[in-house]
Amino acid sequence: MSDHPVSLSVERVSKKFDEFVAVDDLSLTARRGRIFGLIGPNGAGKTTTIRMIVGITAPDSGRIEMFGRPFTPELRERIGYLPEERGLYKRMKVGEQLRFFGVLKGMEPRAADRSADCWLERLKLAEWKQHKTDELSKGMQQKIQFVATVLHDPELLILDEVFSGLDPVNAELLIGVLLELRARGKTIIFSTHMMEQAEKLCDDICLINRARKVLDGSLREVKSSFGRNSVALRADVADEKLKNSPHVAGVKSYGDYDEVLLKEGADAQVFLHELIAAGVRVERFEQTELSLHDIFVRKVGEAA
Amino acid sequence: MNKFLAVVRREYVQNVRSKTFIISTILGPLLMIGFTILPGLMFGLKTGEATRIAVVDQTNRLYERVRESVMQAGDEENLPAQLRNSRPAREAREAFQVQYQLEAAPLAGRTLEETKRELAARVAQKQLDAYLVLPSGILEGERPEFHGRNLGDLITIAQLESRLNRALRLQRMQDANINDAQRSAISQEVEMMRCKAGTRCEDEKSSESNVFLAIGVASFIVIAILMYGQVILSAVVEEKTTRLAEVLFSSVRPFTLMAGKLIGVSLVALTQYGIWALIFLALGLYGAAAIAASGFNFSLPSVAPSLIIYSMLYFVIGFLLYATIFALIGAMVTTEKEAGQITVPLSMLLAIAIYLAFPVIRSPNSTYAFWVSMIPFFSPVTMLVRIITETPPFWQIALSLLIGVATIVFTIWLTARVYRVGMLMYGKRASIPEVLRWVRQS
Repeated sequence: MSDHPVSLSVERVSKKFDEFVAVDDLSLTARRGRIFGLIGPNGAGKTTTIRMIVGITAPDSGRIEMFGRPFTPELRERIGYLPEERGLYKRMKVGEQLRFFGVLKGMEPRAADRSADCWLERLKLAEWKQHKTDELSKGMQQKIQFVATVLHDPELLILDEVFSGLDPVNAELLIGVLLELRARGKTIIFSTHMMEQAEKLCDDICLINRARKVLDGSLREVKSSFGRNSVALRADVADEKLKNSPHVAGVKSYGDYDEVLLKEGADAQVFLHELIAAGVRVERFEQTELSLHDIFVRKVGEAA
Repeated sequence: MNKFLAVVRREYVQNVRSKTFIISTILGPLLMIGFTILPGLMFGLKTGEATRIAVVDQTNRLYERVRESVMQAGDEENLPAQLRNSRPAREAREAFQVQYQLEAAPLAGRTLEETKRELAARVAQKQLDAYLVLPSGILEGERPEFHGRNLGDLITIAQLESRLNRALRLQRMQDANINDAQRSAISQEVEMMRCKAGTRCEDEKSSESNVFLAIGVASFIVIAILMYGQVILSAVVEEKTTRLAEVLFSSVRPFTLMAGKLIGVSLVALTQYGIWALIFLALGLYGAAAIAASGFNFSLPSVAPSLIIYSMLYFVIGFLLYATIFALIGAMVTTEKEAGQITVPLSMLLAIAIYLAFPVIRSPNSTYAFWVSMIPFFSPVTMLVRIITETPPFWQIALSLLIGVATIVFTIWLTARVYRVGMLMYGKRASIPEVLRWVRQS
């Protein structure tokens, strides 16, 4: 991962609103050609962090560097930012609107038009170019907002809750676009509280809770650090019996199977042997990684 | 700079294209023409039917003279011909023209009380509108009585009174053996020449109309602000309601956005005023040409070019200043509705400026006049009045303009700051202490 150059580094940044600490001593690094997930529960400080990165609010302390330089307003033109609170001018035509956003990012009007045409084509919105925004459905508006974000071909994309409100088809379309942008060497930061999406897309993650970083690193590292110490088990055995096993730390019963959490250092193979030796019929025995969701729940739950 | 122009352009195009703009541009002149012509028409309606008045003449010799005087238009026979024939005087006369129909109501042997009862009955039956009792001592100052159905018709009563007095005057002169030629010689009046001290005396009545110019500019600012304050407010709130503010602020500085919006809307206002000015200029020229063609001698009031430039300058500064204040209000609230109550007192501020200007007209070089013309909220009116009446030293004019511009820039800066912080906290209106805190932090 370190062969990807750093495009954004946030170092020990803090931000307070009156007495309320929104972000506390947060550091993170996003790299070129990778997707960085900023994840955390609602109110954790994701949006404030992003606003500081984009230069809408200034941090109280700490440093933010972008492309190896301290943030300056000129760098805005190399960023595409899609905030969680987003909208469009209601009575403006889609095409005019996109040109306006393009020019605000320092593009020539014609270049903005060309780029808008490309993107509208790509997101299957070409025939809506001459329509006013309030004639568009919510999902379409959201795609237009995305186009406005990527129109000027930014090197750093910052997307706050980009999937909220998108239907599965459009979400897939967008995931495709994001992966393509990553392949073209863009840096993508996106914040979400939806773990499934983060798990699908992210190369690196940073989990924050209550203004502080809880864990970070590449998704792979994070997951392996939690180990493969849980087992999906379907067998005709009573939960009580399982819990009495010296290897088992806990059992959760789902409709179709039990999730058995093994004690630290316990070997799944030995556990399986014991079950079979005890004459249990095992239909399913699968060593599983903790999902990002589980990690999230566990980490955030610990803090609560 | 390109970004600023893009904001200006978007704001301008969006507003000029809107239905509201098109409708108000067309409707505006129609309404104004309506308001200037309608009152005349309304008064004109009265001429349709004459006011019927019976006169009980106890002197037995005044009726004919009173009738003649009442029927004859023109109450100002004593004014010099120049004034009497001036256009406003003629217009006023025509507008207030009331026609009368007089009849004598002789006592014919009955008592006065009986006659009055009978006349009152006729008034009640609407055969008459009023009756007039001229007592025998009227020439010596005994008061006549007017018994009317409608005592609210002030114009008619006042006119009747003045014309009755004219008849009495003539009668008294005749009684004193003064003939017509002597009479007009006696009642000849003179009109003062208006001259600026220290200059060669030319009648400078135009400077009176220049004071009206200052008041006119002030009223234009009031009207423009009343019309466009709301537009500016909704322009500023727009990005909040559409939740666009955050997107924009990742591309453009809040100051650029606010200044751009303000200039954009102001250009819209100027466009509308420009269109109206052209329409009225065309109508005015047409009117002037028509009057000139009819052979009437008539000259437009002359206004110095520098005065026109100052008027425009102060109009623009006054408009922008109040517009920025509206923008500031817009930055504090989350919806247009919330802003409604705050905007009224603001417009009052300009009305106050007009009142403050009156003492300035009387003593334009007093300390009071100086300070009042340095306060940016009042200077568009007060300084203009000073320039017209007794032009102050140039540095004072320059200073007041500078203060105006500085206030505008400061208010935009403040607006941008309040806006940026306010935007980060959606959904609640800020109290004043909160706003002050926003300005300090961020």
